[in-house]
Amino acid sequence: MKDLKHLIYFENLLQEADNELVKEAEAEGQKCIGTQCSQVPEVLINLPGSFSVRLFAPRTGSIDIGTYYMTSLTCEYCRAVLERALEGGYQFLDAFIDPCACSQHTDLADNIEQLEACTKPGFFMLHMDTPMKSDTNGINHMYNQCKKELLPAMASMGIDTSDDALRKAVDQFNEMCRLLKEIGDHRKADNPNITGYEYYVLCLATYVCPKDKIMDKLRETAEELKTREPDPDAGKKYRARILLAGSEVDDVNFIKTIEDSGALIVADRFCFGTFPDREEIVLNDEEDVLFQICRDAVIKCQCPRYMNTDRILERKQYIDRLAKEYNADGIIVQQMKFCNFWGYERADYQHVLPNEYGWPVLSIDRAYSSGASGQLRTRVQAFIESLEIKKINKKKGVVNA
Amino acid sequence: MSKKLNSEPLGKLYNGKKTIKRREWRGLRDTLYDYKCWLGIMAYLVKFLTNPQNLKGMFRYRWMINNLATLDFLDRHTAGARGPQLRMAHLEYDFIIKHMADNMAAQFKRDQNIGGSKKLSDKTVIFDENMMSQVMNGFPNLKAISREIPPIFTGSTMRQDSEIFYIDVSEQYGIPGDVCPMPAAELGVAVQDDYPEFGCCILNANTTCDTSLMGNGIEQRHFDIPTHQVAVPINYTDPNVNDYSAQEIKDAIKFVEDQTGEKFDWDYYFKCMKIFNQETRNFLEWLEVNKTDYPQVVGNNIAPFRYAYYMVAGGREIGFLDAEKKINKLMYKAYENKVPVVSEVRHRAIVWGVQAQYYSHFPAWLQNCWGIIPLVDMLSLTSTKIYSEDDKEQAYYDMADLYANMVMRNRSEGGYQVGVEDLWRFCEEFRADVVIMYEHIGCKAVTGYHGLYEEQARKHNVHLIWVTHGLMDPRDASRQSMRNDVNRYMRTVFHEEPLDPSLEEFDDSNAY
Amino acid sequence: MDTLKKVLIGTVSAAVGFFAVTFTVYFFNLDSKALTLLEEPLLKHYEKVDKQKTNKNL
Repeated sequence: MKDLKHLIYFENLLQEADNELVKEAEAEGQKCIGTQCSQVPEVLINLPGSFSVRLFAPRTGSIDIGTYYMTSLTCEYCRAVLERALEGGYQFLDAFIDPCACSQHTDLADNIEQLEACTKPGFFMLHMDTPMKSDTNGINHMYNQCKKELLPAMASMGIDTSDDALRKAVDQFNEMCRLLKEIGDHRKADNPNITGYEYYVLCLATYVCPKDKIMDKLRETAEELKTREPDPDAGKKYRARILLAGSEVDDVNFIKTIEDSGALIVADRFCFGTFPDREEIVLNDEEDVLFQICRDAVIKCQCPRYMNTDRILERKQYIDRLAKEYNADGIIVQQMKFCNFWGYERADYQHVLPNEYGWPVLSIDRAYSSGASGQLRTRVQAFIESLEIKKINKKKGVVNA
Repeated sequence: MSKKLNSEPLGKLYNGKKTIKRREWRGLRDTLYDYKCWLGIMAYLVKFLTNPQNLKGMFRYRWMINNLATLDFLDRHTAGARGPQLRMAHLEYDFIIKHMADNMAAQFKRDQNIGGSKKLSDKTVIFDENMMSQVMNGFPNLKAISREIPPIFTGSTMRQDSEIFYIDVSEQYGIPGDVCPMPAAELGVAVQDDYPEFGCCILNANTTCDTSLMGNGIEQRHFDIPTHQVAVPINYTDPNVNDYSAQEIKDAIKFVEDQTGEKFDWDYYFKCMKIFNQETRNFLEWLEVNKTDYPQVVGNNIAPFRYAYYMVAGGREIGFLDAEKKINKLMYKAYENKVPVVSEVRHRAIVWGVQAQYYSHFPAWLQNCWGIIPLVDMLSLTSTKIYSEDDKEQAYYDMADLYANMVMRNRSEGGYQVGVEDLWRFCEEFRADVVIMYEHIGCKAVTGYHGLYEEQARKHNVHLIWVTHGLMDPRDASRQSMRNDVNRYMRTVFHEEPLDPSLEEFDDSNAY
Repeated sequence: MDTLKKVLIGTVSAAVGFFAVTFTVYFFNLDSKALTLLEEPLLKHYEKVDKQKTNKNL
């Protein structure tokens, strides 16, 4: 396929947390809000005059200092981010919003705070408490936390937190979601004209850049894809269509390794991915805007920390629905090592998705930077072969194919 | 071999086998007292096993084998104790053993797997073992049972290899090997279908930790009865979460009412809370005495008893209070007589982090081997508030506060202030020069503060001794490796000799 | 009188005997040692226990 016009531009933006667009927005006086998790309703930290950056540590090498503070027994994402923070890699942050989503994230935030790793004048850390159930009390809790803690914190930086500002933020967010969906939906085709890697470069950029600064290029890319010819040999290169589920992925090389092994990632359900965090927020004119945003965040959230029974069941249904919608052949469930939530959820998926929904599942754990892992390549290749055998058997009419 | 502390080399009683060669000679009076208590426990256990239903349970559930080590468990937790400390220990541990036996008997009585009573089962609410039980203080006609306590929590203190089988089952199921072994073992028991089957509904919670709630989520498929989750706030020290927390309690109560047809009985609730408050007052007296030069209720005599009445009984069982009154009487008398708890007090210690279940008698070793007195431990330092005894609306907030302050989670969740900063305050209050810092390999919460502890201990001039363990999996760090962590520090930093050299290194790798 | 004496002696002898036996068991830890012998047969038994419940995906 012909290269996407802006792919290299977007790839370059992913080389640093403090990328050129972050610098540009800062220079304009926009406030930069960092967070490590999707539990903070994203639109509320992207109000006019502010933008959010989901913290990541691209090109991570040694994480020795992070390991000293958090030991080798904790999640590598947390250690890598702490390391980067202590190296001065997040000095551009005006605030850090910690949703206390898991104990390791909380420890990470506490370490950054106590070690004074972010020293920009006026920098502050806000620890929120976000719900773990999607019932009425959970929604009200999210609403109260945002109303009493998050929005006052935003206002303290001079950010407009009025209903109009909230609606503007939702409008901008929705436009970005529509564009990403339009781009991503090209993967529904039998022979897609965009690879998973290309798509996730764009998708990740929406998390780590000021959104208003990438919209033009997203629009151009969406237009470009309308006429982009798919690779005629894609069928040989990509032998299986995969939904990638699981914990945090901010390393596009991980996606690349999977695709280089012969799989095409057509849909996802992971942190920093499309679903559900890049789904539009539908607002009505009757209810309180903030309440609607909070309800949307709680209802949509697919994080395993949501512990009510119906959510536990619904998470598998959600993946099943996506996999069908995007014509996946199988599902890869990946988990960052030492992630407690996904450690259990992954084990659950590897039993429930094949047994109750009939999906072939590859279950893997991985390091934070695992792009070039030979082991990963081997396992994905073996999985694809098993999917191919299933397809052949199915054609032949073999029972239990 | 006498009534004097440290008069017998305790390490020599171990010979590499499951049990010790013989019991300790504690002087005539104390030995006879210990013997009398042993007789009492023996009689209780014989009575337990002569009940046909209990016998059926014994032959149905693999984890019942752990209870063969009950008497050994008692010996380990009273090792080296003399005089008032021995008596306090027996008041606590004898009561705990009987309480555990009663818990198992109650489960077997209801267990549908072995023909238990359906009627009783329908009046039973199952509680997560990592959860406060005060919600049940308003339901006198219902029985709250933590089904996981005998197979996992107490089982793992009975014998060190108790959970290995279930942890392996859980790993075969697909749970990663790096998670906490406790919820992993809980899930393993479910996978093996080794839980007694009873109860009309289940109350779960996100206490204590992320893995615990995830394990419960998977186990629900096994139990297949109505389940309600209490989502206790993580950042619980923030006053803005209080209304939400109180509503969680109201929802939990409503769930129990809906499932059982019972109504919350406020009179009974306040009656239980009066007992609970009195227990708290007594506990505060323990702490006050431990701040003096003559601490009395220390080490193993604090933690298990405290967890049991604080979390499991929650004010519903007067027996704990009765035992506590006797303990306080002994404590004050010993304090007035300046009775020492070890032959030579070398160090005053705070024990922080999560204890190793398979080495729950580690504090006794610290005392007997090195003269380190564990004055109080993190798991016991839970809420010491006095809660309302008559205000219904306030009671919801009180219960919410207690759930947030569940054993361990009040320090492992809630952030830096309660997890790290409070430790130095306790060191100051108790005049501790040493912190025994448990590093539980599978616990991601406290571990994440490792570097901060290190740096701040130096700043506060406190000796931090890291003791690495695997909570319920001794394959991760053996008892001897835990001892070595301390031995190394005592020799290389303090340049001290042990009070009992036989305890520095001995073979208990195969012991219960 | 003789009967009373006999009863007394009998009672005292029984008590002393009971004490001697149980104290020996206690002091030499014979109770715990004996219980360890039950482990092997019990473990074998547990392997054979018939479990009725089918665990969906467990």
